[in-house]
Amino acid sequence: MNELIRRDFPILGRMVEGKPLCYLDNAATSQRPKKVVDAIVRYYLETNANVHRGVYKLSQEATDAFESVRSKVVRFLGAASEREIVFTKGTTEAINLIASSFGESNVGAADVIAVTRMEHHANFVPWQQLAKRKGARFEIIELTSDLRLDPKEVDRVLALKPKILAVSLLSNVTGVTNPVASLASRFKMVGTTIVVDAAQGIAHGEVELSRLGPIDFLAFSAHKLCGPTGVGVLWGRESVLSRMPPYQVGGNMITHVGDLDSEWNELPHKFEAGTPDIAGVIGLGAAIDYIETQGRTRIQEYEDRITAYVLERIVAIPGLRLLGPKDPHHRAPIFSVAIDGVHAHDLATFLDMRGISVRAGHHCAHPLMLRLGLPATCRASFSFYNTLEEADQLIEALMNAPQFFRRKNA
Amino acid sequence: MNYRDVFGEVLADHHESPRNWGLASDSQVRENGFNPLCGDKVTLGLKFRDGQLESCTFEGEGCSICMASASIMTEMVQGQPLSKVSGLIEGFRAKMQGEDRPDVLPADDSSEDIVALYGIKRFPVRIKCALLPWTTLKKGLETHHA
Repeated sequence: MNELIRRDFPILGRMVEGKPLCYLDNAATSQRPKKVVDAIVRYYLETNANVHRGVYKLSQEATDAFESVRSKVVRFLGAASEREIVFTKGTTEAINLIASSFGESNVGAADVIAVTRMEHHANFVPWQQLAKRKGARFEIIELTSDLRLDPKEVDRVLALKPKILAVSLLSNVTGVTNPVASLASRFKMVGTTIVVDAAQGIAHGEVELSRLGPIDFLAFSAHKLCGPTGVGVLWGRESVLSRMPPYQVGGNMITHVGDLDSEWNELPHKFEAGTPDIAGVIGLGAAIDYIETQGRTRIQEYEDRITAYVLERIVAIPGLRLLGPKDPHHRAPIFSVAIDGVHAHDLATFLDMRGISVRAGHHCAHPLMLRLGLPATCRASFSFYNTLEEADQLIEALMNAPQFFRRKNA
Repeated sequence: MNYRDVFGEVLADHHESPRNWGLASDSQVRENGFNPLCGDKVTLGLKFRDGQLESCTFEGEGCSICMASASIMTEMVQGQPLSKVSGLIEGFRAKMQGEDRPDVLPADDSSEDIVALYGIKRFPVRIKCALLPWTTLKKGLETHHA
């Protein structure tokens, strides 16, 4: 990875507070290459029409452009067919769709729904609320001291034969990666339906369904993958999706509407009510093209280098606490840190003054933060367009932080 | 460069040695303020007598700006008539949010401490940190009146 890649992202050339932007909040949202923005602009300027409707040429072009992205996603994930790919507003909507549609019709008071302690609110609250509505038991798989899934906890919850297991590929707070394939194999043996939140995972490494074991659902958002905001993907196993009722009803998702009842369109349109974010989907297609041009293996190798590089240096900073494992093999380039006596906001402002953009807060993971006993952490998250020089900038700033915040009588 | 160079001696001092820290046991109202976006928490202990805010104590867990703001605020409002306290709250809010509100009592410009807090406007994303103790006090007055 090199300067040529950075030139694809015009924003990376801008200045912040008189310093070059050092964007390390990729776990919140990635930046977009010009090609993605161009694809969206081109659609609006040259191909704009509603999809799946018109008989005229322009509408057909728009529909073809839109549907060709579905085929791209099929290849990108290694899905069985276009029928398994549902476009949503993002990961959050995708998981809510599963919880509402699959959850409402499959979970009862005698059932167990399981999540993990590290889930983002988007993969926690929909299940918590489903359990509450149904009177089902809600179980949280707890973590080890280095914030990985505790194998004893996995065994405990497995023994409860949960109806649903919702687990993320990797944590947006700690960067910890989860052994989803082996979890899926074990939970499938007890009849569990497995939902995978790939919001973070999709940006780091090759997310291929064939490597994730017998999972049933996977959700991700385009904007973490250099695509636009407001668009996401729900992949569902066709045999499961086909038995689920619609999530929302209205236009596009019907084949026949009578006065008293209606019939639903076939997959995946059954789950896509209303005019979709056509431009957004086309932007997602351009993002996938861009990622594939760079090469997912190459991206993964480069990110592994960044992870090892930052990890080695960050753990050596005196007075700094890094959340999660110190072993680079179990994490992505996402680093949450805390300094005793320095609030995460103050640390983030200190970094911002140096042009370094990081996130401070609870990272939409209250259940994890509660367990850690921390109100907030400061999180630096890298992408493949970040450089080792930027990593050095972060490390140097963090090394100077304790001195900056030193108290008068300390 | 250190914290004092950027945020000034006043805020550093209030953060490191907060005034009126620890909730008075005879508080009549305890009001909690929480910013769910960032995790700043503040609790105020309020005691009223003869239309005045006799004492305002606090505890909390948050960033330096939130804690310093709480410390400065407690010093400013203690012993003041409630009508003046309300004016100070609204005046501070308006000032921090860049509103022109000549109708509300301006926060006391003679105080070096409050002027130091105004400096947080240079960090727009941190204004909400400075405001939390004040909005919590406003809620506390409403609880008292209820």
